[in-house]
Amino acid sequence: MNKKTPYILIMPIVLLGVLFIYGLVNGIIQSFGYIPAFDLRDFTLDYYVKVIKSPTFLDSLKLTLQISLISSILSAVLGTILTAALVYTGHTEGKALQIIKLAILIPHTIVALFSISILSQNGLLARLFYKLGLIDAQTDFPLLLYTKNNIGIILGYLWKEVPFVAYFSLSLMASINKTLGEAAENLGASRLKSFFYITLPLSMPAIGKAFLIILTFSFGAYDLPFLLGATVPKALPVQAHIEYIHPDLRHRPYAMAMNGLILLITWIMAGIYYLVTNSKKIKGDNHERS
Amino acid sequence: MELEIRNISVSLSNKEILKSINLTVENGEFISLLGASGCGKSTLLKTIAGIIKQREGSILLGGKVLDRLPPHKRRTVIVFQDFRLFPHMTLAENISFPLKMMGVNKSECRKRAIELLKKVKLEGYEDRFVDEISGGQKQRVALARALAADPVVLLLDEPFSSLDVNLRKDMRELVLDLQKEYKITTILVTHDQEEALAMSDRIAFMYNGEILQYDKPENIFNNPVNTIVADYFSEGTYISGEIRDRRFISDFFNISANKDNGRYKCLIRPAALKVSKANDSDFEVVAKVYQGDNYLLKINKKDSNLKLESILNEPLDIEEGDKVTIELDKDKLIFIPE
Repeated sequence: MNKKTPYILIMPIVLLGVLFIYGLVNGIIQSFGYIPAFDLRDFTLDYYVKVIKSPTFLDSLKLTLQISLISSILSAVLGTILTAALVYTGHTEGKALQIIKLAILIPHTIVALFSISILSQNGLLARLFYKLGLIDAQTDFPLLLYTKNNIGIILGYLWKEVPFVAYFSLSLMASINKTLGEAAENLGASRLKSFFYITLPLSMPAIGKAFLIILTFSFGAYDLPFLLGATVPKALPVQAHIEYIHPDLRHRPYAMAMNGLILLITWIMAGIYYLVTNSKKIKGDNHERS
Repeated sequence: MELEIRNISVSLSNKEILKSINLTVENGEFISLLGASGCGKSTLLKTIAGIIKQREGSILLGGKVLDRLPPHKRRTVIVFQDFRLFPHMTLAENISFPLKMMGVNKSECRKRAIELLKKVKLEGYEDRFVDEISGGQKQRVALARALAADPVVLLLDEPFSSLDVNLRKDMRELVLDLQKEYKITTILVTHDQEEALAMSDRIAFMYNGEILQYDKPENIFNNPVNTIVADYFSEGTYISGEIRDRRFISDFFNISANKDNGRYKCLIRPAALKVSKANDSDFEVVAKVYQGDNYLLKINKKDSNLKLESILNEPLDIEEGDKVTIELDKDKLIFIPE
């Protein structure tokens, strides 16, 4: 291999990295009110202060946290159950895995269209319930989309995130079950006990990482809340998008301040995850030495 | 408790791994499943433990059929080659695990774990984690954990293969001491013939999914049923010939042999051949290999393909190129029917 080949091969990721960092730094600078093109030249925290003090922001923050936490917790739980089912039925490769990958590959916008065609009052389920005589009219079908309970958005996230958790943790759980799970059963543990005492605790690092990824993703994601969410309150990324496309371009720092806050909260989430997992390790270390 | 294996056949991925295996292990007996890698010995062990399901045949423990009993109810406990200790638990928690599964209370579990750690000479290690101990110590913990499960049959799956030579010897002694103390019916899987000979009451020699010979160590070593078994224990030179009227007749030598008439192969192992220096002999030393306790002499016969080996215990004045006379110890010759 030519000496230059590794550098050439790494170029695409370097270029993408540069673009990402440029966008991030540019966005942060703009959030402090510095956009010379729009004649904004003073560095200030005013935009952050105004955004934080706005009641719309707090409602949006609460809503976004609620959607991301509920969808991520449910996805982690259901994804773990799906993984366990695949492991214990021996479907850790082949067709089952392809189906899981397919669900992950479908984009969120397509998931939103599926949700509308299946879950809306004109959708497949409403029509089926009406045909079966379970409801008197299609409008009697419970409102799942565009509502303040955000069931539609959460179901949309579950569509992709449950298979994601399963795909992310499957190989680890399968290998633990094959070796240590087998040993636990040999030592007198039933399959259920072997799962809860051995396989699940040892699979938690992978499940925890998958949870963090989907939590931070759903906290910052824009498409599903935009397509399936209620009119008010709006999710934080949707609110930021509205500010971004405001006809008055001098509103841009508000959008960037909101993005800055989303970034900050995401980092805090990652920090809490790191502290929690690290403290467990430290506790373990102390225990080892006592 | 007596273990009986009746006509067990196992297929994995449409490949026949075990072919109609029959084996009986007496109560408290220590037997070895000996054979090369891939002969099916670990599969047989896992079949006994219920981890692998047999295609046909039955496993009986104390006269009771185990076939439908799930692995966690069999009390046939394996000490795995890779130990399989639980990394998120302390050593005491690892050993307590089977007790916890039996419903023993926490304080009793810990007390028993500490007792067992003492038995395997790891007193004071109860609160350590698995990644804090050495391979030999892991082996001891795995053994203690298996004993905690109160096994009816203890299954040892090549437990010493990852240990160094000195540690292996210590562990063998420890296993034998504990096996005698607890009087557990034990099956050791090994590919090490010395280990099998030294530890077992009986050895089942496996080859290609079948048991070729099941016998006491002395018998299997001195009276192998075929050349496959014979070669596994110690290689040597085969001379084809015939026994007539208690005398083995071949192109190279005639010697008395206490066997029935028929065609035989006479196996001459190095220990059966004595040499002494002589100038007018057809046999020449072509190599002298130092082996620590002794020397191995490689000897060729002039004008023939006959190649022999001999062990020289004393550092006699025999060197490469020397002519030697040979003497066969007829008690150490092995006759295998052709």
